[in-house]
Amino acid sequence: MTGTIIGFGKISGQGLRVGALGAATLALALSSSTAAFADDAKFDPNASITIGSLYEPQNLDNTAGAGQGINEAFNGNVYEALFTLTDAGDVQPGLVAEQSVSDDGLTYTFKLRPGVTFHSGDPLTAADVKYSIERVTSEQSKSSRKKSLATIGAIETPDDQTVVVKLSARSISLPYNLSYVWIVNDAAKDLNASEDGTGPYRLDEWRRGSSLALTRNDKYWGTAPTNGEVVFQYFTDATALNNALLTGAVDIITSVQSPDSIAQFKDNPDFTVTAGQSTTKELLAFNDRVAPFDNVKVRKAIARAIDDKKLLTSIWGEYGTLIGSFVPPTDPWYVDLTAVDAYDVESAKALLKEAGFADGFSFKLDTPNYDPHPIVAQFIQSELAKVNIKVEINVITANEWYTKVYKAHDFQATLQEHVNHRDIVFYGNPDFYWGYNNPGVVDLIKASEAAANTDEQTAKLKEANTIIAEDAASNWLYLYPQIVVSSSAVAGYPVNGLNSQFFAFGIKKSEQ
Amino acid sequence: MSPVETSVSTQKRRHSLALTVGLLLVGINLAVALLTLFWTPYDPLNASGGRLEAPSLLHWLGTDRLGRDLLTQLMIGARTALLVGTGAVAIGAAIGVSLGVVAAFATRLADDVMAATLDILIAFPTLLLAMLVVAASDSASLWTAILALGLAISAIVARLTRILAKRVLRQDYIVASRTSGTSWAGVVFRHVLPNIWPTLSVNFALQFGLAVIAEASLSYLGLGAPPPNASWGRLLQEAQGTVYTAPIGAIAPGIALVALVIGMNLLADGLRDIADPTRGRSR
Repeated sequence: MTGTIIGFGKISGQGLRVGALGAATLALALSSSTAAFADDAKFDPNASITIGSLYEPQNLDNTAGAGQGINEAFNGNVYEALFTLTDAGDVQPGLVAEQSVSDDGLTYTFKLRPGVTFHSGDPLTAADVKYSIERVTSEQSKSSRKKSLATIGAIETPDDQTVVVKLSARSISLPYNLSYVWIVNDAAKDLNASEDGTGPYRLDEWRRGSSLALTRNDKYWGTAPTNGEVVFQYFTDATALNNALLTGAVDIITSVQSPDSIAQFKDNPDFTVTAGQSTTKELLAFNDRVAPFDNVKVRKAIARAIDDKKLLTSIWGEYGTLIGSFVPPTDPWYVDLTAVDAYDVESAKALLKEAGFADGFSFKLDTPNYDPHPIVAQFIQSELAKVNIKVEINVITANEWYTKVYKAHDFQATLQEHVNHRDIVFYGNPDFYWGYNNPGVVDLIKASEAAANTDEQTAKLKEANTIIAEDAASNWLYLYPQIVVSSSAVAGYPVNGLNSQFFAFGIKKSEQ
Repeated sequence: MSPVETSVSTQKRRHSLALTVGLLLVGINLAVALLTLFWTPYDPLNASGGRLEAPSLLHWLGTDRLGRDLLTQLMIGARTALLVGTGAVAIGAAIGVSLGVVAAFATRLADDVMAATLDILIAFPTLLLAMLVVAASDSASLWTAILALGLAISAIVARLTRILAKRVLRQDYIVASRTSGTSWAGVVFRHVLPNIWPTLSVNFALQFGLAVIAEASLSYLGLGAPPPNASWGRLLQEAQGTVYTAPIGAIAPGIALVALVIGMNLLADGLRDIADPTRGRSR
């Protein structure tokens, strides 16, 4: 099979989108029929693209607890931000034309891109930017990202095109953190049910419980989308969603949750299956505060006793990626650490003996009651039995997990999937549920945020990343794949879906 | 031969057939469950093949995602199902019959209160009651599930016992028996229980079937017996994501579940005809 590369980023004239769509690191491109659909292929510039998703937003405002679905539909499509997180994981300028940072790193000056207008026709001004940032940091905001913008002290608007952000402490991640702050018109009303952004699409119609239609913004300042309309069609059941793609009711499924439902699309030339890299990590998280998991040797022994590769194959078949730490390949500070505490039962036994557990021990594994956790727990139980560790599986609901494990830290070990991008910072917080407390790592993570440039930040986080892996702070089992399935008539969609984004402006549908 | 006789004999034959099939289905389950105490085709906890292998001579029903033999899991599931059914019905019977008999003897007021309480309890579906008990307990286990289902069943049994016992207590021979010096306990054991027993046992068989389904539902939701205890409900849940590629993983435990429940129902049907031979004809 020839590896057809999917993604038509190079057509797009804009630098920031090349990264988003060109992601040539695609693991798979299965359909040979897509070969006919090359750069110069005829595509319908007014095509209507139907995207099937399981994540219907609760409302249309990402500061009002709308859920991940609104990021999927609106980030980059309807609303833009000062910076853009590309599908490859890079941060690129968005509505910012120029930026400068003071020597102490506490003052950021942003010059806005000229000639940008909102969908309502109002021009983009510095006041809109100030309003938009303050909307996220305000007390009423329910944004999950609020805390990471806490260093913002004051926002000044010396003129209509200039925004000055003053920080209380250095924050090298500011551009990244600003990538999920939607720039909205400060005159807009009722953002729960309507929108006023600057993006390449405007909201056409939202039918609660069923669909959300976006239509091309013909006055867009940047490169025009390669399609005329995008409709997000919402489903509550994965099987129904798969059937919708099979019958042609939708063109794309944004994320397939089970490898076995891919089987029906995989060997069919009418469909394209692409496996990107998600940021969702399956973790066996120890409570590092309590014995025996306060002992590094015990944690390392467990990591060596579990055959992650076999587990990944059991759960995801040929998909997914092995990881040696909490950092996925799409984070800038990724280091391949899979060799640290690789699968080796004999050395696991030796380490346990050194730690004083030659005869093993037993522990309770709090297991969320939804797939894949129960089956992962059984695998771990069977693997650890080989080194005399007895695992008692305790099945709990997602709510119990939140109160018992996350809030009360009342657990020995647990299974959980962590979905966030760039979330290694959790290991710099000794009060986090897993209670990993290494002052060296705490300092590195703190210092990385105060770094003068991204190279320094990356170097520090790489170091922290290596230390947590050597400490076996948790046991990182595998990285979920991000699987997008589409009709082979469409191409040019994002494959990694970082932070739930799904940029639609580069999607092309061939002429029928 | 008169037409009436024909119909009666056909019905008799149908009912004895029900009993036979019921006994056969339940008997197979029981035999398999007992067998697993001594022998299973493979180790239930460890992989004995690849991921989702199709049925073959080595693995008659194929393997699950972790490569474990499905037939082995299914056989152990039969043990879990029978254990839950028997345990739940035993608890339900012990509590339910005692409460029912007490209610039948109680003063008017106490009886009314008990009857109303039971009616309220019965208004909740068995599964919902069981879920409440499991949620209130510290951690899910096989025994919590059995206890929860037993408690839910006991309300149904208690109401039935109360009605049946009251009917017996109204009979003239009870008065005669009391006059001749039999104690109330003697009345219960000599007259009430033997008289209501046939109807109760039919009900027990029905409740057994319901308990098996309820346990499967609990396990399906992750509230039943925690892994690695094989339960048909959990097998169904685990097979859900692979139903396209390995449908047998969902079909096999489904059929096993249906077979045992139908078996119990046919058995109840057959038992009822033995207990009350007039009922079939008057229908």
